[in-house]
Order: sequence, then C-alpha cells, then structure tokens
Amino acid sequence: MSKRKFSASYVALLLVGLILALVPLATGGSPYYSRITTLMLIYTAYAVAFNMIFGHTKQLFLCLGALAGCSAYLSVVLTRTLALSPWITIPLGILLAGFLGGLFSYVSVRRGLGVIFLGVVTLAFSLIFYNLILGLREYTNGETGIVTKGLGVGILESSWSSYYVFLAVLMLSLLLYHFVMSSRMGVAFRALSDDELTAELAGIDVTSYKVFAAAIGSLLMGIVGSFYAYYNGLISPALFSLASVDIVVLITLSSGGMGTLLGPVLGGAVVAIIDELVRPFGQLNVLVYGALLIVLFAAFRQGLVSVLRKMVKFQIP
Amino acid sequence: MFPILIDGVVQGLQLSLLAVGITLIYGLGGVLNLAHGQFAVMAGIATALLISNGVNVIVASFLGVLAAGVFGLVIDRSLLLAAYRYKGEERLLLGLVLTLGLSFVVDGYLNYRLPNVALTLRLPIPSLSVFGITIRAASVVMSLMAILVFLLLLIFLKGTLLGKAIRSIIQNEVGAELCGIRPARTRTFIVALSAVMAGLAGISQGLFSSLGTEMGVEFTILALIVAVVGGVRSINGTLVAGILLGIVNAYASYYIGAYLALIILLGTAMLTILIRPSGLLAYWT
Repeated sequence: MSKRKFSASYVALLLVGLILALVPLATGGSPYYSRITTLMLIYTAYAVAFNMIFGHTKQLFLCLGALAGCSAYLSVVLTRTLALSPWITIPLGILLAGFLGGLFSYVSVRRGLGVIFLGVVTLAFSLIFYNLILGLREYTNGETGIVTKGLGVGILESSWSSYYVFLAVLMLSLLLYHFVMSSRMGVAFRALSDDELTAELAGIDVTSYKVFAAAIGSLLMGIVGSFYAYYNGLISPALFSLASVDIVVLITLSSGGMGTLLGPVLGGAVVAIIDELVRPFGQLNVLVYGALLIVLFAAFRQGLVSVLRKMVKFQIP
Repeated sequence: MFPILIDGVVQGLQLSLLAVGITLIYGLGGVLNLAHGQFAVMAGIATALLISNGVNVIVASFLGVLAAGVFGLVIDRSLLLAAYRYKGEERLLLGLVLTLGLSFVVDGYLNYRLPNVALTLRLPIPSLSVFGITIRAASVVMSLMAILVFLLLLIFLKGTLLGKAIRSIIQNEVGAELCGIRPARTRTFIVALSAVMAGLAGISQGLFSSLGTEMGVEFTILALIVAVVGGVRSINGTLVAGILLGIVNAYASYYIGAYLALIILLGTAMLTILIRPSGLLAYWT
C-alpha cells in the first residue's frame, strides 16, 4: 500500500462526494429526477455492501433483497403494531440483517460449503422470506404492502433531505470500505481472494475474516433497506425481490468493477442510465437485465474501473 | 387421505422428472442450472402455440419437447461454454450466475411477447376408477410416462456404453478424459436430454391445470429443492426425494396451506445442505 494510492482514494472519495452533492442543483427541483438520483444512491450503496460480501471473499449471497427486506419489514411492522419510535426499530432491523448475514457466512465456512451451496442456501432463504411476507398477512399486508408515510421518519419524507441522507450513508460506507481495505484486514482480504488455502496457511483466520465481511456487508444492506422502506412511502415484497435487488446489484457491481472502491459508484451510474433507457419497454426490462448479467459475467468480468485504469495515467482506486 | 397420497406421488414423479435434469447437468458439467424450469415452460408454450396453429395435439407435444431439447443444445454450445472454460469453484460460480441471467431472459421474453399464452390439454376420459378409487386420467398418463422415462434412463445409464461413459465422467472428469471419453460432447448430449425431460414435465403440467409463462421460477425452485435433498450427484436419490417431497407437499398444502408447504420444502433443502451436503438420500447410489 503506497502512500500515493492512499491519497488517490481520498481525492476520489472527495470528488465523488462533491459531484453527487451537486447533482440536485443540476437537475433543478424536478421530483422525477430527484427520485431517480436517490434510487441511484440506494443501489450504489447496496452495491458497496455487496462488494464487501462478494468482492473479496467470493461469498455469493443470493439473498441481498431478503436481507434488506428483513431489516425493513422488522422495523416497519414493529413501529406500526407496537407504536414504537422508528429510531428504535430501525437499529433492531439492521442488527437482524447483520446477524443473518454473519450466520450464513459462519455456517457455510464452518461446514465447508462451496459457492454453490451457499448460493442455494441463500436463495432458499430469500424465497422463505418472500413466502413469509405473503403468508403473515395480518402483520405484513401481503402483496399490497404497508404505507410507511407518517410513521415518524420525517427526514426521509421530503425528497431533498432524503437524497442527502442516502448520500451520507453511501459516503460513510465508502469510507468504511476504504478504511477496512487499507488496514491489516484489507491485506488479509486480498490474500483470501487470491488463494484461501494459502492464506489460511499463512496464519490468516479465514473464518473470522469471511464472517466479518459478510456481517458488515449485511449490516449495510439492512441500513439501506430500512431507510429505503421509509423513503419509498410504501413497503411491499416487490421492493426486495430477487429481480429488483439481487440481479440489479450483481449488474451494478460487475459492470463497475468488483473489489474496487469506485466500482460500485460507476456501476450505479451506468445502471441508472440503463434503467432510464429500458423504462418505456415495461416488462422487457427483465429480459435486458438478464442479458446484461450474462454479457457482463461471460465477457466483461473485470469491470469499468480496470478498463479506465488502462486508459489513464493516474491511479483509480 | 388416500387421494392426497396419490396426488402427492404423481406430483412427486413430475418433480423428479424435472430434478433429474438438474442432477445430471450438475454431475456432468458442474453447472447448477437455475434456468431449468424455463426449459419446461419453453416446451409447454411451444406446444400451446403449435396447437393454436392447428397442429395435432400429440404431434405438437412431441415438437414442443423437441424444441426444449434443441434449446438445451444451443444453450450448452453457446452460453455454458463461457462457464466450461473454467474449472472448480470458478465454473460453479459462473454457471450459477449465467443460468440465473438466462432464466430472467427467458421469463422476460415470454412475459413480454406471449403474456396470455397458456397450455391446457384435455384428455378424452376425465377420470378412471380403480378398485373403487377415482383417479384422474391425467395422473395415470403422467405417472406412466414418468416411470417409462425413468426406466429408459436407468437402462441407458447402466446398460449402454455411453451410459457408462456418463457415469465415469460424473465420478471423475479427468480420469474419464484419460480413458478417451470426450466430456464436452457427452455434456451437450446430457444437457439436451435433461431439457427434454424438463419439457415432458412442463407439458404434463398442462394435463393437470394449465401451464403459464410465469411458472418457470416455481418449477426451477421445486426442482432445485428436490435435487438438493436427493443429493445433487445422485440420480436414484433424486427420484426418491422427488416422490417423498411430492407427498409432503401434497399433505402440507392440504392441511396447512400452500405458503407454509413451500416454506417447509425450502427449509428441508436448507437443512439438508447443512447436515448432509451430499444429499439426504445420496447413499443409495
């Protein structure tokens, strides 16, 4: 870790923060653009979280939507049925997501499950989550969902303040990622992603690092998920389905660049643009996202960041 | 009580027909096919389109199944090649993501272009009476077909040289290659065969109720559960698991509702992976 790369990360983070902070000024007061840009921040933050889980330790979680949804639903349902303040229930939801993510990771590492079984277990979990939401109709309102407006999170009800809330969440998670990756832990993660067995032999505690990565990533998923629930004004299973979260996040991360600081940010911008382009075609966007996932993973696995790295002279973190 | 058991067994046979393909493709190619249910739906929708164009029902079903087989062949020779380039974990990961993408492409296309097409087949006799128990004719046709397919498959795997080659690749790909077996060709054949079996399962869904374009995900999930519980490398295990889970599903759906039934099945799959990753019934082979 050279000193130059160190400062490059800070410069990049500062630039990203500045540009994103100025976006609302550039788009004027249009509520349409405000929503699109806020969604872009949300998906970028999801991708940063997934980068923690998958980018270095290659733990394929197919339950990102379910993790975010668990956190969101726990908070909303508790707030509504027990009349608690959302500022008490949101942390509970976030902790639940972090606990579940850590648990999946712990079990899979301990039992020596490969990528395929972790994928199947987490996929099964996300379907269980989806069916529970539909089945526990009296608490969750099933497919229709629950209106979250007026439950007491005022700051996420006006569109401009929520944009900056999500921007703060995103910047903090990027900073966290940067600090983790430039510490001893980062060295361990790099060693892990190269060769797990060798890392273990070199004295790196593979289990705890993998579980740590998964738990931190899942906590972040939980934070973004529960904030999203209050921002959206309505919480429904469709918000957290496999198609609307996991697939999009996989595309975001792989188009931007896995295991990089700026990858999720670039990927988030790309996906936001693509989403705008396919919006008029309605149902077709499922097809476009599926095709994108295939093309990205089959032919463009290194992502935008590494392409840019080859093109320009200065460092891109 | 008894009719539920019969329903369960019949549904189980259908599930096994779907899940055997997942087992075979995973065992041979090292790719867990998350688009397997979509093969079944493709066959059903192709059949429905042919029937609506005036083709005879039996010919249309045959062509529909064939279409699924051709689709499987094309996918193996194009999409999955990207996964076959790698070995081990990397191939598994890529296979999982690529077939997930494929399932979204197929679903997206079918729901966009043919949203209202559904396959419903009516048999000339609605039900039969055997020893005083009324059984739907659809159940009889479906069961006989599934049993015939499984018998043929087992004879093929145990009795023919190609079957032996396939089993040897499942055991050890490198070893088989050293003996002069070409894994790539055999793989293509198996993917097409699995797609054909999935297509049969899909068309038989049309006998019971109706097969719509949106059912691919459901099929994939059920087949995946069966394949996992039976052991993703064990063909016999998959057959038995399909029937057992079919029975469990039928009783659970009847007594406690479909949502909880699916949750029970998913929970079983999760527990199986945690307790015995090779499959609960894997020691049968």
